[in-house]
Amino acid sequence: MARGPLQIPPEIRSRLKRLSLRTRSDLGTGGFGLHPSRNKGSGLEFAAYRAYEPGDEPRRIDWKLFARSDKFFVREAEQESPVSVWILIDASASMSQADRARPDWSRLDAAELMALCIAELAQQQGDRFGWMTLQDGALGLAEPRGGRSQMDRLQIDLARLQAGGTFPDAATLAALWERIGAHDLVLLLSDCFDERAIAMIERLAKAGREVLCVQMLTVEERDFPFDGGYRFLDPETGEALIGDGKALRDNFLERFAAARAMLDERLDAAGIRHTAHVLDEPVDLPLHTFFGRGALSA
Amino acid sequence: MTPLLLAPLGLAALAALVVPLLIHLRRRTEEVPLDFAALRWLEARPRPRRKLQLDEWLLLALRLLLVACLALLLARPAVLGWEDDSAQVIVAPGVDPAAARKVAGPDAPLRWIAPGFPEVAAGAPATGTPIASLIRQFDAELPQGAPLTIIVPSVLDGVDAGQLRLTRKASWRLIESKAGAEQPAPPASPALAVRHAEGQAGALRYFRAAASAWSDTPRFEASTGADLPPRASVLVWLTPGPVPQAVSDWIGAGGTALLGDTAQIAMPASSAALWRDGAGNALVEGGVMGAGRVLRFTRPLAPAAMPALLDPAFAATLRDLVSPPARPPMRVSAAAHAPAGGIAPFPLPPRELAPWLAVLIALVFLAERLLATRRRRFPA
Repeated sequence: MARGPLQIPPEIRSRLKRLSLRTRSDLGTGGFGLHPSRNKGSGLEFAAYRAYEPGDEPRRIDWKLFARSDKFFVREAEQESPVSVWILIDASASMSQADRARPDWSRLDAAELMALCIAELAQQQGDRFGWMTLQDGALGLAEPRGGRSQMDRLQIDLARLQAGGTFPDAATLAALWERIGAHDLVLLLSDCFDERAIAMIERLAKAGREVLCVQMLTVEERDFPFDGGYRFLDPETGEALIGDGKALRDNFLERFAAARAMLDERLDAAGIRHTAHVLDEPVDLPLHTFFGRGALSA
Repeated sequence: MTPLLLAPLGLAALAALVVPLLIHLRRRTEEVPLDFAALRWLEARPRPRRKLQLDEWLLLALRLLLVACLALLLARPAVLGWEDDSAQVIVAPGVDPAAARKVAGPDAPLRWIAPGFPEVAAGAPATGTPIASLIRQFDAELPQGAPLTIIVPSVLDGVDAGQLRLTRKASWRLIESKAGAEQPAPPASPALAVRHAEGQAGALRYFRAAASAWSDTPRFEASTGADLPPRASVLVWLTPGPVPQAVSDWIGAGGTALLGDTAQIAMPASSAALWRDGAGNALVEGGVMGAGRVLRFTRPLAPAAMPALLDPAFAATLRDLVSPPARPPMRVSAAAHAPAGGIAPFPLPPRELAPWLAVLIALVFLAERLLATRRRRFPA
């Protein structure tokens, strides 16, 4: 799809300035740097030498050591902000669903903009961020890095992203386990309709990662404003159900609310902070819920 | 005021009310395909029993109203007794409009007594209209109880032989006009155009003498040709034998022809003797042919056969024969011709409501279109 790069609207950008990405482990600890740790990085405190690899910045080469040993070594320093933010974007077919009232604003569009906001927050405070687009057989992946270029890459990746297929199975998701570090912050943007997605974040949470989950819902799923005959199609399974909107409404709303309550319960039990985002709400609202004033202490 | 339908069978068109009802019946068989990821929480349930359910009540009501109005239009609704009872003033042509306005008052509606009864402000109508007949018509078409004022000049032209009797007591107002200003000139003497064969010139003298007797400047011409004179002239056709078709056509188109006894022509069926001598024998017979008149001598134009040629009264008689019939007297002193009332009123035709209904239909149609095409009806 030929789209321009995604931009954060100015009003959302101004609201983002009040936020900062914080993990649960930040609470009660202060000190130099936002997230102190023992990981290697480009900080002030020396950590170790390592051999030069193509792609390392030349300014990080220790030239005095080169004079002594005739080999390139790179000084590694302790990273001041070692927490990496992982943005997991569900890109299965169900994410392409949009409301009929606003057909150009799908779940995926909202998720992309939300991902951009998170990246902006991470970049503002110097955290590294990476992302993964979760799609059956097509796991898009970017290692966490900081800086402006990472932001540009995210924009390009998101512009290319198209929803399709189903949620990836466990084998595809194996790549995820290798990369997400022990204290990384994981944000999942998904409709959370797929059991595999829930299982994945439950497992991540059990493994000590801090996981935040935003359930993306359409207005039609919240309100079910249908009247008349419809053929409801599941974009992932291809199943269809023919029915009259009005007749189905009460039962659906009841069952859907029950399903959401059950999901809430599961996520609470797993220690996953979560919120739901409906497409007619401002995109940065979940971020305010997670990182706004008083959100963590509450 | 009685409403009625002039063509009640038109109400059968009300059967068309079914059409919008059918359009608005909810089509439950219609299935809009829709992506819906939360399908698993939808419970397939048997379709609700088909109830008669209708969509968009307001639009349906408008459409029903539209069809009903159209059916009513076909039934030709009318009302009886819904009439304009305001005072009417009619003015005879020839009256000065300013003077008529002074008599009638500044606000009264002034109409000419002319076909169609145009407003006085629209300009003077053509003269020569049958005034009395038009006054009777206007009175007959006016609802009972509407006062009528008739403004006429002191000398009224265009009346007929009947006395003016109306259904109401009309106010008869006279305005002094320049009487006799348009005194018609006495009709000119007829122009004679004689066509004769060679060697027949003997009869010419009687006609020339007659023409000289009619006027000091006689209008007379004679030739042996067959050329036809202008239509206002009287053609005297003395050539023996059958009358050419051109002459018959000339007569049929409005000419007057006097034929000699030797001319052969099929005389019209309405022919009658127009001139008889003292013994009661017909000398000239004739009748109407097409738009013209044809006359024929029944005897040779010789004093031996027709002594009347030498009679002193021949010129006057001939003139009476060939002159067009005189206009009946149509001028009367208006003061003596005041209308009398007392005729039984005529039943007025019911007033049709079709124009009003057409406006209503147009408005309803507009509203229906506005409602049917408004943007909110078609969510993107």
